[in-house]
Amino acid sequence: MRFRRRHRKSKEEVELNLAAMLDMAFQLLTFFILTFRPAPIEGQLSLNLPPPVPITNVAAEQPADSGDAGMASTNSLVIAIRADHDGNVAGVSVGPGRAFVGPANAYNLHELDRQLRVLFGIQHTPYDQVLIRVAPALRYEDLMKIIDVCTRQKLPDGTRLQKISFTELLEPGATN
Amino acid sequence: MSASMSHDSSAEPNLTPMLDMVFQLVTFFMLVINFKGAALDLSLKLPVLGSARPLDTEGHDELFVLNVDAQGKLKVYGIEKDLKSYIASEARVTAAKLSTSNSKFKAGDELPTMVVLRADKGIPFKLLNEIIKTCQEHGFRRFSLKAMTKAEGS
Repeated sequence: MRFRRRHRKSKEEVELNLAAMLDMAFQLLTFFILTFRPAPIEGQLSLNLPPPVPITNVAAEQPADSGDAGMASTNSLVIAIRADHDGNVAGVSVGPGRAFVGPANAYNLHELDRQLRVLFGIQHTPYDQVLIRVAPALRYEDLMKIIDVCTRQKLPDGTRLQKISFTELLEPGATN
Repeated sequence: MSASMSHDSSAEPNLTPMLDMVFQLVTFFMLVINFKGAALDLSLKLPVLGSARPLDTEGHDELFVLNVDAQGKLKVYGIEKDLKSYIASEARVTAAKLSTSNSKFKAGDELPTMVVLRADKGIPFKLLNEIIKTCQEHGFRRFSLKAMTKAEGS
């Protein structure tokens, strides 16, 4: 079945009124410009924080078979961070030894990194997570510098260290 | 002396190129708009960490963003909220969602949601630890600590 098409010749031209569309487009543009907020360039450190467990008398070199129910019975390397009155790092110790004394500057952080590399580089290292004991007054900015050094460490299986726990470092004489 | 002219034809500008340009601009802004950015409190001063990398969840992970200022106060879309009750309610909602979608999920199980902690660089550890512990008590295990990759203005 064929339809016949009528061809009409007309001299009239149909013109769209673009002004209304332009008005709408400008309104949309204004909305997007006003609500536009470029996202800041933010990075992140991913951590897998184990569930909180009671901690009593954590000692870095405590033998694993000591029967203590605290976190020291797991393979945790204990890092203690002391703070000064302004909340800056005053010193860091790794296990029973002292990593550095003073602020968390590039030199001291490099020294900490070197010591941790030695510890985690040992074959059959007993550590698979880090317990960071932090002075309550320590500022987050300085803490992140230490966490950054820790997350750079690689375990013997090649994976990056991600298991990190935090606990407050109690002042000498305070009860836990 | 007067010169009066009468025209039958009126001069109309061609609006098509302008409309094209405006639509291109609209398209650009539509593509770059980020509604999730409203959840971020941009007044916070995050710590600066050169090795921090952008978070790439490939759209699989659910994120739970916490904006915490230097005094340990939580702000959600600019409104101050009680930290403990807010975390508890979020954990309840997430657990309820999981229990309907996953039959193996039990109450008290680990939640897969990642807690994105955007804390001011000046917050003392004592306050920060309270927040982390509260999250852990409600089943959150995965944390993402936010930091700027370079200092502002540099």
